[in-house]
Amino acid sequence: MSALLEVRGLTKRFGGLTAVHDLDFEVREGEILGVIGPNGAGKSTTFNLIAGTYAATAGDVRFAGEPILGLAPHRIAARGVMRTFQHNRPFAGMPVIDNVLVGAHTRFGATLWSVVLGRSRAEESRRRERAAELVQFVGLGELARADVTTLSFGQGRLLEIARALAGEPRLILFDEPAAGLTPAECARLAGVIRGIAARGIAVLLVEHDMHFLLPLAHRVVVLNFGAKIADGLPAEVRTHPAVMDAYLGSHAAH
Amino acid sequence: MKSENPLALRATPLIRGAGAFIVLAGAAFFMGDYHNDVYRKLLLWVTLALGYNFLFGVCGQVAFSHFAFYGIGAYSIVIFLFQLHLPFPLAAICGIALCIVFALAVAIPSTRLEGFYLALVTLALGQLFIVVLNEGGTVTGGTGGIANYRLPEIYGLRLRGPWYTAVIALLVVATYAVLVRLDRSGFGRACRAVRDNPEAAAAMGVDVARTKVIAFTLTSVLAGIGGMVYAFVDNTVNPPIFGIENAFLLLFMVIVGGAGRHAGAVIGAVLLFLLPFWLSPLVGHHHALVFGVLVVAAILLEPRGLIGIYDRVADRYKGSPSR
Amino acid sequence: MQDFFELAVGAAASGCVYGLIGLAYLLIIRPTGIINFAVGEWAMLAAFGGYVTLTKYEWPYPVGMAVVLGLMFVVGWATERVVVRRLVEGGAPLLAPILALLGMLVVFRESISVTFPPDPHPVPDAFGIGRLELGPIGGTYQSFFTIVTALGVFIGAWLFFERTVAGKAFEAVALNRRAAALMGIDLTRVTALSFGAGAVVAGLGGLLVAPNISAHYLMGVPLAIQGFTALVIGGVGRVAGPLLGGLLLALAEQLTVRYAPVPAGYAQGVPLVLLMVFLLLRPTGLLKAKV
Repeated sequence: MSALLEVRGLTKRFGGLTAVHDLDFEVREGEILGVIGPNGAGKSTTFNLIAGTYAATAGDVRFAGEPILGLAPHRIAARGVMRTFQHNRPFAGMPVIDNVLVGAHTRFGATLWSVVLGRSRAEESRRRERAAELVQFVGLGELARADVTTLSFGQGRLLEIARALAGEPRLILFDEPAAGLTPAECARLAGVIRGIAARGIAVLLVEHDMHFLLPLAHRVVVLNFGAKIADGLPAEVRTHPAVMDAYLGSHAAH
Repeated sequence: MKSENPLALRATPLIRGAGAFIVLAGAAFFMGDYHNDVYRKLLLWVTLALGYNFLFGVCGQVAFSHFAFYGIGAYSIVIFLFQLHLPFPLAAICGIALCIVFALAVAIPSTRLEGFYLALVTLALGQLFIVVLNEGGTVTGGTGGIANYRLPEIYGLRLRGPWYTAVIALLVVATYAVLVRLDRSGFGRACRAVRDNPEAAAAMGVDVARTKVIAFTLTSVLAGIGGMVYAFVDNTVNPPIFGIENAFLLLFMVIVGGAGRHAGAVIGAVLLFLLPFWLSPLVGHHHALVFGVLVVAAILLEPRGLIGIYDRVADRYKGSPSR
Repeated sequence: MQDFFELAVGAAASGCVYGLIGLAYLLIIRPTGIINFAVGEWAMLAAFGGYVTLTKYEWPYPVGMAVVLGLMFVVGWATERVVVRRLVEGGAPLLAPILALLGMLVVFRESISVTFPPDPHPVPDAFGIGRLELGPIGGTYQSFFTIVTALGVFIGAWLFFERTVAGKAFEAVALNRRAAALMGIDLTRVTALSFGAGAVVAGLGGLLVAPNISAHYLMGVPLAIQGFTALVIGGVGRVAGPLLGGLLLALAEQLTVRYAPVPAGYAQGVPLVLLMVFLLLRPTGLLKAKV
């Protein structure tokens, strides 16, 4: 299977500091690729470079063969790459279902004229049904009409995911989705992510917590000090000497 | 929406709109001239408030240029009709085109800056507009403005008195219909997303800058059209009407009524428009003091405005959260 | 060129007043991020205070000035306490206090409009009417007094921020509220003081300009715009910013009135055009912030 996302030579320098150096990896369809590393390894920076929040110093990122590096975030989303945020960012002025509908923004065909003339109502109700399905899929079923400010942290996390899925992505980028969740919520999250990959969507999962990631990912890339130190199956990576070195060195953080 | 009687009229939006129009326009025929005049201005304020509410409440953009566009519409139709002697449809189209040009000129550079910059630029623009009007010599009539004109016959129709009020009623209903549709659509959601969290909106595929520009231009054009209609209400246009005092008042109306809700805009406009009439025995023409106090009270006590208070009361009555 | 020097002092004095208003904005914006448009009305209140104490009751100038500025501090502190504190501590978005202060702008203005008749109220000069000639440059006593006083305030503000511990606390809050709070800085106290100080500075501006234009309840908004333009031109990152911006603005106004081939009324447009130009092209102002 060919790679859906190809990262080649990705480099980011902030002034004198090299946050990410010459990264190479790829993500295939239906695959869960985990990106792990100790704090400060450059995981966030890598994530933000791919998602379009930061401009890269050098390198190339291709999605489905087309370069996306340097595109504005909304164009990246239109191409079929959706993301979640580590610190939940819901749209506080709308109920849950409308939040999910914003995720589907790029899939709506209606122009302003058709809206004004009242012609887009059929599409709107179709989208609403799809959004309701997604809300069910992530496990927020009863809360579709709820005010997002009433959601718990874990529920807000699930909303992030439903919203990203609404964009009908071929690739989803997860930014430390397990952060701040209880063990039960983590287990539910893992189930949802597996379900997403099973639908054929590629998943790039940046995560700090090895215990959550290793059982879940199909392949793992390990970063340390901005460079890739290991790349392979979770079992291989778990016992890789460089990886153990990197983590034992900062084990106090766990 | 099923009704028992298969022959009964279903309340489609068109029917409801027509009904509202008939009621609003019909009322004009039962009023004398003075009340008609007040009523027309009330309807125009409601139109402005609905548009401003969409820009401020739904899209989250603070702007003080709404009355400047109202003025651009008003002055331009008068100048195009009576100084350049253009036929009415062309004059109207030129007026709208002028509004679009100015709106884009302001919105496109401002949207790439952070939130409040648009407010500042539009504040300056609003003031500059007044300076230009005052110094405009024979074109704008200077500080006295332009007067002594009448709405020409349009396709043989002479719209006078309550018939003109009906035109304004049509404007209100049409504005409401358009804005409600936009609000409930993907565009309205995109506007709210931009208001609530622009970074997340972008990540979801919303072109933030474009959404802001469209919302600003659209509502500014609506204000301009309102201005064109206004020009024939008093048959005079002069600078003070289009100043920032009224821009502040519009903002206050929307905040007190309830930003983000069409009903809030209507309530705020009606209340703050009628308040001076009721308060004048108490505070003379210093009603602005009351407005200022109301706005501060609203922001401190019930930021969702009067509609928010209504919701809270309705919730307690029904026992379930509404909206 | 001769008349340029004649105008220079007057323009510099105007520029200093704009600078003071700009400084009032800066003192509040830096620690809180709040743009307080009511500073123009504060200037207006002080001008009326000057009318009452100096014209009506004919107190000696220093006494009247001290009383008015003291009262302005209370007004500023009270504004923060009543209108702003609840919003900031309740975590409301920044827009909320800004709009509430817009409401207060109207409240302040209308309060004066209700209390006093609508005609302009005279406020006396500090040293009486007279001119001082220093070589080619000449100006009224009031102009020189304005310049000297404003310079004193700016130097004092600069010393405060650069040299005192309290000033460093202000800077810390400006850079990062959360971190400052964690370091033990009392955010409420800083905010309250910034509002009080802002009111005093704006009030001083109002008092200094009032002899030229008389106290009038509509004088607030134009000053608010000129002060804000001064701030945007000069930059909000440095204390000297508003002063530089104010002087440049005053210079631009004078040059426009004197030499531009447009009717005199367009002078009012100068701060507006400059404001728009700077906002769109160089929003951070001319002076670069430190750091």
